[in-house]
Amino acid sequence: MPTRRFAVILVCLMFVACSSRAPSKPTKTNNTLIYGRGEDSKTLDPINGETGETVKALVNLYDTLVAFTDDSTEIEASLATSWSTSEDGLTWTFQLREGVRFHDGTLVDAAAIVFSLNRLCQDDNPHVSDPARPYKPNFAVIEEIRAVDPLTVEFQLSEPSAVFLNNLAMFPAGIVSPTAVKKHGKGFSTNPVGTGPFRFERWIRDQQLVLAANEDHWRGRPNFDRVVFVPVSESATRIQQLTRGEIHIADNLPPAEVDDLARKPGLTVVEEISMNVAYLALQMDKPPLEDVRVRQAIAMALDKQALIRVGYAGHAEPAINLLPKAMWGHNDGIGDRPFDPDASRELLQAAAADRGFELPLTLSLAVMSEPRPYMEQPLQVAAFVKDSLAAVGINVTIEPKPVTPHFAKMMRGDYQIGLAGWTTDNGDPDNFLYSLLDSDNISESGNNMSHYRNDKVHELLLAAQRELDQDKRLTFYHHAQELIFADAPIVPLVSTKQRAVHTTRIKDYRLHPAMLIRLRKARFEDVP
Amino acid sequence: MSGWVKLMQLLCWLTPPAVARYLSVRLFHAVITMVVAVSLIFIAMRMLPGNPLLARFGQHPDAEQMQRIIHEQGWDRPILSQLGQFLHQLVTTGDFGESISRSNENVSDELTRRIPATIELTVVAMLLAVPIGVAFGVAAAVWRNRWPDRLCMAGAMLGVSVPVFFLGICLRAIFTGMPIGFRLPAFEIDFEPITEFYLLDTLLQQRFDLFATAFKHICLPALALSSIPMSIIARITRSSMLEVLGEDFIRTGRAKGASSWGVVLRHALPNAAAPIVNIAGFQIGLLLSGAVLTETVFDWPGMGKYVVDAVRENDYVIVQAGALVIAAIFVTANLVVDLLYLWLDPRVRLS
Repeated sequence: MPTRRFAVILVCLMFVACSSRAPSKPTKTNNTLIYGRGEDSKTLDPINGETGETVKALVNLYDTLVAFTDDSTEIEASLATSWSTSEDGLTWTFQLREGVRFHDGTLVDAAAIVFSLNRLCQDDNPHVSDPARPYKPNFAVIEEIRAVDPLTVEFQLSEPSAVFLNNLAMFPAGIVSPTAVKKHGKGFSTNPVGTGPFRFERWIRDQQLVLAANEDHWRGRPNFDRVVFVPVSESATRIQQLTRGEIHIADNLPPAEVDDLARKPGLTVVEEISMNVAYLALQMDKPPLEDVRVRQAIAMALDKQALIRVGYAGHAEPAINLLPKAMWGHNDGIGDRPFDPDASRELLQAAAADRGFELPLTLSLAVMSEPRPYMEQPLQVAAFVKDSLAAVGINVTIEPKPVTPHFAKMMRGDYQIGLAGWTTDNGDPDNFLYSLLDSDNISESGNNMSHYRNDKVHELLLAAQRELDQDKRLTFYHHAQELIFADAPIVPLVSTKQRAVHTTRIKDYRLHPAMLIRLRKARFEDVP
Repeated sequence: MSGWVKLMQLLCWLTPPAVARYLSVRLFHAVITMVVAVSLIFIAMRMLPGNPLLARFGQHPDAEQMQRIIHEQGWDRPILSQLGQFLHQLVTTGDFGESISRSNENVSDELTRRIPATIELTVVAMLLAVPIGVAFGVAAAVWRNRWPDRLCMAGAMLGVSVPVFFLGICLRAIFTGMPIGFRLPAFEIDFEPITEFYLLDTLLQQRFDLFATAFKHICLPALALSSIPMSIIARITRSSMLEVLGEDFIRTGRAKGASSWGVVLRHALPNAAAPIVNIAGFQIGLLLSGAVLTETVFDWPGMGKYVVDAVRENDYVIVQAGALVIAAIFVTANLVVDLLYLWLDPRVRLS
C-alpha cells in the first residue's frame, strides 16, 4: 500500500515537472569552450572585482574607454576612438565610438560613460550595491565627469596624472549599462550587462559561469558560441578532466605537471612572459633588518637560478628590480648582486659586530600556503630561502598562512621577512614602485610591507606621477630604481612565465602579459 | 500561516498524547541546543582575529572604505548586541543575511542549492553502507571465527582506519574511467534542476542519459564517504547478531525446523536491528555535517566545502548559517532515530 502511494506522488511530480519547463536555458553546441580554472569569480560587477579569476570573466563581458593592446599594455582605442589633454593636463576629452550597443540593446552614449564611472569614483553613489570597491583609490584624481554632447565625455582631474589613461583601461573602469543597473539594482552583479565580446548567460556560483557570443560586438563576433568557466579547485582534478576532454583549457597548474602534460598527444601548452614579480619583503622596522648590510647579505645568499629550478621547474626569469623586465621603465642598467655566500657571511658578521647581535641570527619567514600566479609553489620557495639563509648563518622558521591572513599580517608589518608578489594592474611603473615601496603606502592596509622610507625616492615617484612627458618620467623611474636597489628593502626573486594547457583543437589562444584572458580571437580549428 | 496551524492541529490529533508530550519536550530541547550552538559559534567567530572584509579587497585594501562598511554593517558594535540582532533577524525573516567575504551573495540562497548536494551524496552513501554493512555483519556473525568473519572484520577495520581523503585519492587512481568533480560534467549546460536533487531531477525530466551521468559522478564520492559508516555498521551488526543468535528463541526456532537462513533473517535480524538503526542514524548526522573532506577531494559542490572555505576567509555569516543547519540536521537525525527505536523495540517505553 505505501509503495503504491509513493508511486502516485512520483507520477504527480512528473506531471508538474513536465508542465513547467524552465525558460531560456543555454543549449550546448560543439562550439562551446569549457575553461577550467582554480576558483570561481567573486562578482560580475566590474567595480567590485579584485581577484585574477574575477577579472577573467570581466574582461570578456565589458569594454573600457581605452584598452591594452593584445600583446602589451600600450593603449589603443576601444569605446573611445580618440582623446586629448588640455595644456595643464587637468582636462581630458574623449570622443566616443558611434552606434555601439550594450548587450541589452541600449545605446552607449556619454551619459552611460558618466553613469558607469561615477559608480566607481563617487563616495555615495546611489547605484552601488556593494560598497567594497578595491580600485576606487586609483581613480581618486577624478574630480568630475561631464557629458559634453552624446559622443563627447570630459574628465576634470584635481592634478595632472600620468597613469590616468592606463587606469581607464583597467577592468574596474568597464562600462556598464545604466538601464540594467537601474533595473536589477542589487542583482546587477549576477545579471551583468556590458558591451564586451561575450554577453552573460547564467551563473551558478562555484559550478559554472556561462557567457555567450555577442553577435553585434563592434570588433566583430567572437569565434566561440559560448564560453563556460568552471571552477575546479583541485589541480589534479583539473588535469584529469583535461585529459578526459571534459574541459578544453586548464590554467594555474603546478609547473612540473605542465611539463608532463606538454608531452601528451592532443594537448598544447601556451607560454607567455608575465608582468609580475615575486619578491622577498624585508621588514625594515624590525631589527636587525634596519641595517642595509643585513638586507644585502640576504640578497646575496639567494641563488635565483637554483630557485627557478626548484620552485618554478625552470619556467621563470630572475628579477633584478621590483619592476618586471617586460615593462616599460625597467632600468636595464642595474646589474644584479652576485650569488656569493662568503661575501654575504662577511657582511652579516660586520653588521653583527657593529650592532651587537649574535650569529646565527633567527628570523621568521611569512609565506602564503596557497599558490599565487607569481609563485605557484610558495612552500617550496620558502624551503629554498630557509636552506639558502642557513648556509650564511641565518636560521629561518617558516610561518605559512592562507593568502588573506598572510597579506593582512604583512601589511600590518607584523613579520620579519616574508614572501610576496605583484601582477601589474595598469602596465605602468607607478603601479609597482609607488604602490609597493612609497612611504605613502605604509599603513595597516598599505602595500609597502617593507616599511621602506626614502625621501628622495618618494619625491621621484610623486614627480613621475604628475609628469606627462614619458621621457622625463623614464629618467625619474630609472633613478628611483637605482636608489631602491642600493637600499635593498626587498629582494626581487623572479618574474614567472604564465602557462596554460589546452586541447590542440583550440587555435589562436594567446595569453596576455598583464594576465588578461581574452577569448575573442581563439577558436576551434574544426569549427568554421 | 493558518495552513501550518491546521497541519499542527491535525498532527496533534493524530499522535497519541504520550508521544505528543515526548515530541514537544524533545523539540524544545532541540531548539535550545541549536540556539546555544549558534550563539557559541557567533561569539567565537567574532573573537577570532582577522577581518573578513579583506577577502573582498584582496591585495588592494582601502582602510577608509573598510571602516565605512564595518560601521554601516554594525560590526563595530558589542558582540551581544550583534547576536541579538542576528537572532531577531533569523526569527522574524528566516534569512541568514549576506556573505561578508563574497560580494552580494545571499547565504540562504546558496545553502538551499548546496544542502541538497550534500544530502544526495549522504543518501547514496548510506544506501551503500547499510545493506552492505549489514550483510557483512550477518555473514561474520553466522560464520563466527571462520574465514568470512575474519575477512569481513579485517575489511571493517581497514574501512574505519583509512582516512577518507586518502581513500578518495586511491579510488580516483584505481577507477580512472570514472568522472570526478561536480555533479554533472561542465559541458552539460542545458540542464535546469528543479529540486536540486540531480538524481531525482534527471528522472523527473526524463533525461535518462543525464541520470546515468549524474549517477556515475556520484559513485566514487559516495563510495569513499560510505567506508566508515559501512565498517561501523558491519561491526555493530556482528556483535548485535551474536548476542541474539545465542538466545533461547533462536534455538527454539531451529528445533521447530525453520531453515537456518530463515531463522537468521526472519527472527534474529529484526531482533538485532535496534542498535543498528541507532548507529546508522547517528552516522547519517555525521555524514551530513562531515562530508567536508569528501566534498573537497571530489570537488563536490556541497555545504561542507562551502562552510570550510568560509572559515578560512573568516566569513562569520556563512559559518553561523552552516553551524545552524548542521545543528538542525544532527538534532533531527537523533530525534528520528529515537522515534524509530520506539517503533522497533516495544520494550522501550516513554517515561
